[in-house]
Amino acid sequence: MDILNGFTSTLGSLAGGFGTALQPFNLLLLSIGCFLGLIIGVLPGLGGTSGVAILLPITVFIANSGPGGATSAVILLAGIYWGALFGGVITSILFNIPGEPWSVVLLFDGFPLAKRLGKPALALSSSFFASFIGAFIATVLFTFFARALADVALAFGPAELFAVFIMSFATLIGLGSESPAKSVMMIGLGLLLAAVGFDTITGAPRLTFDRIEILSGIGFVPVTIGLFGMGEILASAEEQGIGFVERLSAKVGVKDILETLRELRKRIWTVVVTAVIGFWFGVLPGHGATAGSFLGYGLARQYSKNKENFGKGEITGIMAPQAAADASAVGSLVPMVALGVPGSPTSAVIMAGLFIWGLQPGPLLFIDHPDFVWGLTASIYLGHLLTFTMCILAVPLLARIMHAPYAIITPFIVIISIIGSYSLNNSMFDVFITIAFGFVGYWLRKMKYPLAPLVVAIVLGDSTERELRKALIASGGSPLIFVGSPLAATLMILAVILLLVPVVRGLRERRARNASVEHAA
Amino acid sequence: MILIAAVAMFDSRASALPDPTGRFPGGLGPGFYPFWSAAMIAAAALVVVYRWYRSTDTGEGVFATREAWTAPLKIALPMIAAVAVIQWIGFYFVTGLYMGFFARFIGRYRWVWVVVIAVVFPALIYLAFEKGFRVFLPKSILFEQGFPL
Repeated sequence: MDILNGFTSTLGSLAGGFGTALQPFNLLLLSIGCFLGLIIGVLPGLGGTSGVAILLPITVFIANSGPGGATSAVILLAGIYWGALFGGVITSILFNIPGEPWSVVLLFDGFPLAKRLGKPALALSSSFFASFIGAFIATVLFTFFARALADVALAFGPAELFAVFIMSFATLIGLGSESPAKSVMMIGLGLLLAAVGFDTITGAPRLTFDRIEILSGIGFVPVTIGLFGMGEILASAEEQGIGFVERLSAKVGVKDILETLRELRKRIWTVVVTAVIGFWFGVLPGHGATAGSFLGYGLARQYSKNKENFGKGEITGIMAPQAAADASAVGSLVPMVALGVPGSPTSAVIMAGLFIWGLQPGPLLFIDHPDFVWGLTASIYLGHLLTFTMCILAVPLLARIMHAPYAIITPFIVIISIIGSYSLNNSMFDVFITIAFGFVGYWLRKMKYPLAPLVVAIVLGDSTERELRKALIASGGSPLIFVGSPLAATLMILAVILLLVPVVRGLRERRARNASVEHAA
Repeated sequence: MILIAAVAMFDSRASALPDPTGRFPGGLGPGFYPFWSAAMIAAAALVVVYRWYRSTDTGEGVFATREAWTAPLKIALPMIAAVAVIQWIGFYFVTGLYMGFFARFIGRYRWVWVVVIAVVFPALIYLAFEKGFRVFLPKSILFEQGFPL
């Protein structure tokens, strides 16, 4: 009975929230936010976090003198967040350059589907549909379980997180490569690159060789832009020659949308499961969409019947991480609203806004400012619907970019790659890193080394080390902490099993091969 | 790869092993993580080398034809040149020259279109980044003397 009462009370509050969010002024701000977010997501070097930060001063006026007060202000900022989530995938899929850190994973299958298989509209619409469904599932979870989940998330300590990161790596061993050894080598290289710079625990410089520029480390965005964006340009020049013209399907429209829906129907459970996992990852403070998207990709691949198609334009490789990334972004609002602990960098900036507007995030927010909380919740539903509609309408136009002449599109990709890597830290060193990794990416591709494990390790390497050492600090140096709680032990066992899967599979295949040779002899 | 791993292992050897003496918080020094990451590279590299050694497939060489290495080089050299001169002539001039170069010598566009491309693209980027989002891209050495770009 209590559950039913709670359910109807939540629905009543949500209806009130829709009443707030649907007010013309709030709806206008939401549309502006989503549109600006889309542009910010598409532009290299600008992310949801910087977009929200740029508009934070304007929200002070909206909160103080607008008709909707702080609710209108947060609706604008959240709209930018959702818009950037959708927009970030566009450059990944069309140019092989990640618009946002969480869209890095779309380089693995989004670009191959758009370019190599000649289906840019299918790639884009797959990602938009998955984003929308992932966000919708996450918003439903947010609506009903925000407060309860926030408390559970606090029980998820460094040992449990470390096990989850190990699981992410384990799912990628053997990806796109005949040899798991090559994947392991790429993971090692990624972890090594992530370790360059100051050690965050002791402050000691590592692998810097007395170079000041490297002290702050090697950022994964310049590396990724180089490996994929620049590397692809060089590889295409070799494989297809200079000046080739793309032969892509010129027909985009309802047919592609229907094809996407058919493909989505086949993968709906994968999308739902990865959305729930992504949401949970977002709820864990300090992680957010990037780690969620990688985990979503890894798990989808691990349990897919079409493993061999991953990295070559597999639609599950687009839908799963994208659903996880969007769900993760929604999830990152849970600890912010319910506990006052930001779940991602963007939600940290939104939380700064809450303080500026005179609100105190935390459990009391639900009691003291229900209009605000439920207005924000309703705007998450509406914001995603609006952004999704804008994106789907723009798919035919976006897909036509792939038809641009080689002599325009190639230098343009190089230029936006330079902007993307430079504008992160205003550093030419990052641009040099991008160019250098362009050659590395080209060479690794040529030598048939998988790039995905390398990128995952660079992105998650820092967090993995941090959680490992935090766990050991908490336990006074005892490794037993990794199996000290039932949750940690279960996750660690799962991680070990996932690590052993490719080894066992390799041994089985070898035995089967030997048996068939003996049989033939 | 083996060389990279060896250099990294040598550089981080001082604190490669867990240290129970309490010198480092949690017993792990700054060298533990890079050392064992490098060790992972070295071990996997040895497996790859062993497999290559045992393999009977001779392959067709790294570059199949002359065009296979000259084509990437034709793309790479202007890219390197563009990045190398950014700090002197600034991002916007580099963008104009680089895009114009491609339009003329790869796309074989007429000069009038080359000029249009070389002006329009940097102008749009300037408006979007510098004016719209206040993201400042590298300027030329004349910027300090009051030149706007």
